[in-house]
Amino acid sequence: MIKIISPRVGVPGEEFTPPEYTNLQALLDYGFVEDTGTKKSAKTTSDEPKD
Amino acid sequence: MATSTYLSNPALTINAVNLSDQCTSATITSVSQAQNSSAFGSTDSFFVTGMTMHTFECELFMSYAASETYATLAALVGTQTTITISPTAAGLATPTATAPKFTLTNTYLESLPLINATLGELSSITLSFQGGTLTTATS
Repeated sequence: MIKIISPRVGVPGEEFTPPEYTNLQALLDYGFVEDTGTKKSAKTTSDEPKD
Repeated sequence: MATSTYLSNPALTINAVNLSDQCTSATITSVSQAQNSSAFGSTDSFFVTGMTMHTFECELFMSYAASETYATLAALVGTQTTITISPTAAGLATPTATAPKFTLTNTYLESLPLINATLGELSSITLSFQGGTLTTATS
């Protein structure tokens, strides 16, 4: 989900639905919005067998 | 004397970012390029419509702070984006017949002045977007 950070784009915290042909990457790169769906958990698991 | 006038105070977004409070002038123009259709037998010139060529020009105060002018525009150079503009701020959110919202999609930004500074003056830049598809919303 894309969330609004900057009030210039909308209400902060609300979901951002990019209008047609919006350059979303530019908004992400400069912190206007954030993609909460791509955040990785701090905890990681490994498939390697334990000793 | 004009019976109805409009004191310039539009609202606009560039790539979904509202930069109305940084903008001091804005012009969106719809052009249907004229094609000369005059032929032998006529001494007058006649034209038919060719391709459209919409343009959007605006002047903005430059700011390098977060979520301001530079941050909005830096990644747009050489790409296509969407512009929206309405005569009023209310029209941008809820367009009406008397406050239409013009949307220019896939319009191309060729250049961005990175620094335009003059001693003792507020820095401002002029942008020119070219091409794209223009739609008008009145509801």
